[in-house]
Amino acid sequence: MPQLNPAPWFAILVFSWLIFLTVIPPKVLAHTFPNDPTLQSTEKPKTEPWTWPWH
Amino acid sequence: MTLSFFDQFMSPTYLGIPLIALALSLPWILYPKPTTRWLNNRLITLQGWFINRFTQQIFQPLSLGGHKWATLLASLMLFLITLNMLGLLPYTFTPTTQLSLNMAFAVPLWLATVIIGMRNQPTHALGHLLPEGTPTLLIPVLIIIETISLFIRPLALGVRLTANLTAGHLLIQLIATAAFVLLPLMPTVAILTAVLLFLLTLLEVAVAMIQAYVFVLLLSLYLQENV
Repeated sequence: MPQLNPAPWFAILVFSWLIFLTVIPPKVLAHTFPNDPTLQSTEKPKTEPWTWPWH
Repeated sequence: MTLSFFDQFMSPTYLGIPLIALALSLPWILYPKPTTRWLNNRLITLQGWFINRFTQQIFQPLSLGGHKWATLLASLMLFLITLNMLGLLPYTFTPTTQLSLNMAFAVPLWLATVIIGMRNQPTHALGHLLPEGTPTLLIPVLIIIETISLFIRPLALGVRLTANLTAGHLLIQLIATAAFVLLPLMPTVAILTAVLLFLLTLLEVAVAMIQAYVFVLLLSLYLQENV
């Protein structure tokens, strides 16, 4: 079986890991996923006045 | 020189360039890098959904420590599934039929999971060698058996992928040859063989995807044990 021929195995190992480490992760990481859009409620948020105690 | 059916798996060279180098470097043209726009085109959106859902699926059962492997396993999945699927096109070379490539990925990644387990939680990692509830007399035997099964894992991982893809390609070539040879002799049988070839190709598409998934899934399971 030609696959059992050990001759280019090291070259294949090095080359495939090279591609796997340099080319693919940047493409994978470049996919960003924005947050899901939330339904904005029509009520305005109630703002309670808060006295900031400074002392 | 007579051509045997295994010759399709020899690493071909054309004008001094090993074609496996082309087969490994060119498929990534099919994955354009997403732009910084909020809405990308259909291809990138679909690829993004696939990567997102796949990563979610694989990493759901893993504890947080294992989530560092997300990029690696997502890249590995993309790598394997692309190479497998493109290999089903005529006149292409499938690098994953080469045992050297599959072992090159299986052994280091498996070893990494084992080393992580042994360094961070050695007792827990070694505890996997003895299933709960074994009778006392069987303990030594079972530890030996479990150790052997631990070391067989990378071999199984690599050989599983190689064998599945090689067998698939071989079957396709055999049945295609049969259909081609039968065409002038017995056309009806040739048509039936062609139908069989079509169904086999569909099976091989499924096998290509499943084998890539199984490879990555098993690695995530080995990681789960050790993290």
